[in-house]
Amino acid sequence: VKCHSEYQDRIPPEREVEKNTQNGDPGTWFKVTIPYGIKYDKSWIVNSIQSHCSVPFTPVAFHYNKNRAHFFIQDASAACALKKVNCKIHDEENQKVFVFVNLSTKPQSIQKMLKPKEMLTLNKRYDVCQQALDLQRLRFDPDLVKHHIDIILNQRNYMAATLKIIERNFPELLSLNLCDNKLYHLDGLPDIIEKAPKVKTLNLSKNKLKSAWELGKVKGLKLEELWLEGNPLCSTFSDQSAYVSIIREYFPKLLRLDGQELASPIIIGIEAPEIIKPCKESYKGSETIKSLVLQFLLQYYLIYDSEDRTGLLSVYHDKACFSLTITLNPEDPEPSSLEKYFKDSRNIKNIKDPRLRIQLLKHTKREIVDSLSVLPRTQHDLNSYVVDLCIQMVSTCFLPQSGPES
Amino acid sequence: IAMTDFKTYVDQACRAAEEFVNIYYETMDKRRRALTRLYLDKATLIWNGNAVSGLDALNNFFDTLPSSEFQVNMLDCQPVHEQATQSQTTVLVVTSGTVKFDGNKQHFFNQNFLLTAQSTPNNTVWKIASDCFRFQDWSSS
Repeated sequence: VKCHSEYQDRIPPEREVEKNTQNGDPGTWFKVTIPYGIKYDKSWIVNSIQSHCSVPFTPVAFHYNKNRAHFFIQDASAACALKKVNCKIHDEENQKVFVFVNLSTKPQSIQKMLKPKEMLTLNKRYDVCQQALDLQRLRFDPDLVKHHIDIILNQRNYMAATLKIIERNFPELLSLNLCDNKLYHLDGLPDIIEKAPKVKTLNLSKNKLKSAWELGKVKGLKLEELWLEGNPLCSTFSDQSAYVSIIREYFPKLLRLDGQELASPIIIGIEAPEIIKPCKESYKGSETIKSLVLQFLLQYYLIYDSEDRTGLLSVYHDKACFSLTITLNPEDPEPSSLEKYFKDSRNIKNIKDPRLRIQLLKHTKREIVDSLSVLPRTQHDLNSYVVDLCIQMVSTCFLPQSGPES
Repeated sequence: IAMTDFKTYVDQACRAAEEFVNIYYETMDKRRRALTRLYLDKATLIWNGNAVSGLDALNNFFDTLPSSEFQVNMLDCQPVHEQATQSQTTVLVVTSGTVKFDGNKQHFFNQNFLLTAQSTPNNTVWKIASDCFRFQDWSSS
């Protein structure tokens, strides 16, 4: 299909499509190929192409084949526009992305999209209360057989179409039963992580899975219950505990395997209570520094809590800086007690004006002590203090004082 | 320092702080493995009173820390006087907000960083020399 208008004797593709539709042909198919497309993920490629393409298009049957990525479109004007995208996109490594468009026959996978009768069958097999979909031995479902409908789940396009339906109709799916479907591998299943992320129970029993390695393809599911018995892979393990521990590597949160409760696993890194629990007394550094710091804090707050804060002039460096910010307790019934600090609060997430930012940063000891002197009278409770000491520099975090008193 | 110089330092500190804080918490939440790249080799972290020192220990620590969702509500910063830092350009950054670690309840937190500038011919890279993090408990009144 040539798009150049200089070829006057050529029928522009849009007209060609019109001709076809007049004949009842629903439209020509085009196959779009991205060499080395395997490097990119589907949404990035499709979005990048769409953003460079003047005509909106709907990619169909996106797939990878060796190094290439492919998809199909049905719209001739989109095909034209897509050709122009070639070499316009650059990837993260600044390499040009090639996009080629060719005429194509109707893609095979489209022919296998599921239709209304098949939808009904799936709906019948869905338990709304349990949010469970039972696809056991789906191919031999009496309704499907009666209507000569074949859904062969061990074929990738059928599995993909089924997952699409799950995504659209049962996205909150909790349990999926794929028992006895002659599954030799789980190549068609990785999409389930995206399409039915909440699945916690998966039944893969009585299939033909040869290796636990297949489970890696659905590792992203946070499974709590898994059925695998009746697969060849089960006999590859030396004993039950080896079996359990390997399966657990894929699904660390697993609670039941083949119907048996598993002993609670040692979950490392999920809770880690020792790290999370705040630790108050752990300073193991120099006692000299510690006592220096404590002395300093005592002196500082003694002066600060007194009537006259000018004593702080001897505490600050000539060129010191001071700024203050307020963190409000959302449950505090009386946040207005901090009202007098609001106008000095320097939260640069909210304050964007550079002049205001400078103004709120007090510089030189004179300026600092002047601004501290007008702040409300206080009473600090050093017993409530938690002091963190960093070796290079001292930094202080403390619990709020027991309450400013005027 | 002359007034114009001070203003420059303050602006620089603000820019560094804003940029740095965005990167830091985004990396902490979404690309945890890359977090230690923001620390100096001999940086120290005091996390709720637990001292973690050096890249190896930091790597280990951030590995075991559950995944996080940070929300920063407050940010403040100051240029640190060169007398305190042996002339190494340093910025003090203070943040607070909320954080939820996977499997734990949400906490308020306070955090402060000392960032030092490492200059290359093309730009300035700020790295954490010290990091102090603590959950904020509210005293019951």
